[in-house]
Amino acid sequence: MKIAIVISWMLAAVAHAAGLEFAELLKEVHAAPDAARVVAEFNFTNHSKKPARLANSDPGCSCLKVEVTDGKLNYAPGESGMLRATFEMGNFSGTIDKNIALWINDDPADEPSVKLTVRVHIPVLVNLEPKTLKWVIGGKPEPQTIHIQMASEKPIRVINVKSSSSAFTYEVKTIKDGKAYDLIVTPVAMEVPGISVLRIETDCAFAKHRAQQAFALLQKP
Amino acid sequence: MRPLRQLTAIGVISLAAAAATYAIKGPPLRRLICDPASLKADEVCLSQIPATARTLWVDARSRLAWQQSGVPGSVLWNLDPTEDMQAFEADVALHIVDTPQVIVYCSDENCGVSHQVADRIRKLQLGAQVSVLQGGWRALNEAGLTRR
Repeated sequence: MKIAIVISWMLAAVAHAAGLEFAELLKEVHAAPDAARVVAEFNFTNHSKKPARLANSDPGCSCLKVEVTDGKLNYAPGESGMLRATFEMGNFSGTIDKNIALWINDDPADEPSVKLTVRVHIPVLVNLEPKTLKWVIGGKPEPQTIHIQMASEKPIRVINVKSSSSAFTYEVKTIKDGKAYDLIVTPVAMEVPGISVLRIETDCAFAKHRAQQAFALLQKP
Repeated sequence: MRPLRQLTAIGVISLAAAAATYAIKGPPLRRLICDPASLKADEVCLSQIPATARTLWVDARSRLAWQQSGVPGSVLWNLDPTEDMQAFEADVALHIVDTPQVIVYCSDENCGVSHQVADRIRKLQLGAQVSVLQGGWRALNEAGLTRR
């Protein structure tokens, strides 16, 4: 009886292991400030004793294209391949994770057996600190400052600021031309809660870094 | 030869038990189960949210999915690079003034986008309480809270 139980366990283990093994499940990519797309490559091998089939993939976003070497979907035991993920970056900056779900052989529709992640780091050239200024209703309408720092070798200048609301006044001070600026914001009144979106426009050469947003918030205590 | 017979017997007994279970209890229950004990620090189960709570729902799925089946009153913020991220920021910020309790959802429990969107909302530093709904849209849909 023991032999039969051991055999049944072994059969279950073989069935579970029948698939592709990826050398890495997470790939980190550092993009240039003006890069339109980045590519991440994932190598894999069929370490099982059965053929494995890449049955389906879901990149979760039209911005991510998934291709396999030569379009090959079936892999014999011991055979290797490479999956290439191409990410169209659009207007992103900062860090973003893009996930790819893979269904191997007969994986259930709601349980892909492989999940790959492409982590893309896109430099932020215009840094705002803090991103939001806050005041409390009934408090003093004292000015507060957003520090704007340029993280680029070439100078980037603030050329305009627009506010979505007249509930706050603002003034831009040059700290170091092309490198550092202060945006000083002051609430006009302190009675009613409100928010203003401050749009900071620069002359940055890269369109997606050109305009940034900050917020001025007058909130309840 | 005996092990083979015994192996066959194990298989037959297992299949019979499975068939009997199916016949008595029906097919497996596919409903989402959210266990508060297994949540990450910033996650919530739908059952933990009071029905009367004022919540800003943020849909992290595609624009089309949000338009077709989002929570009524929800706002969109996904990580599709063809979208205008600054418009998402401004829209969420304007809503947070009135509704500082924010819950982000994406398609289901396997989707990781909602955590990234929640991080981006926290980085706005608007003082909102931002959580991620375990089970995502699937949980909301099972509870009948989505647009049909």
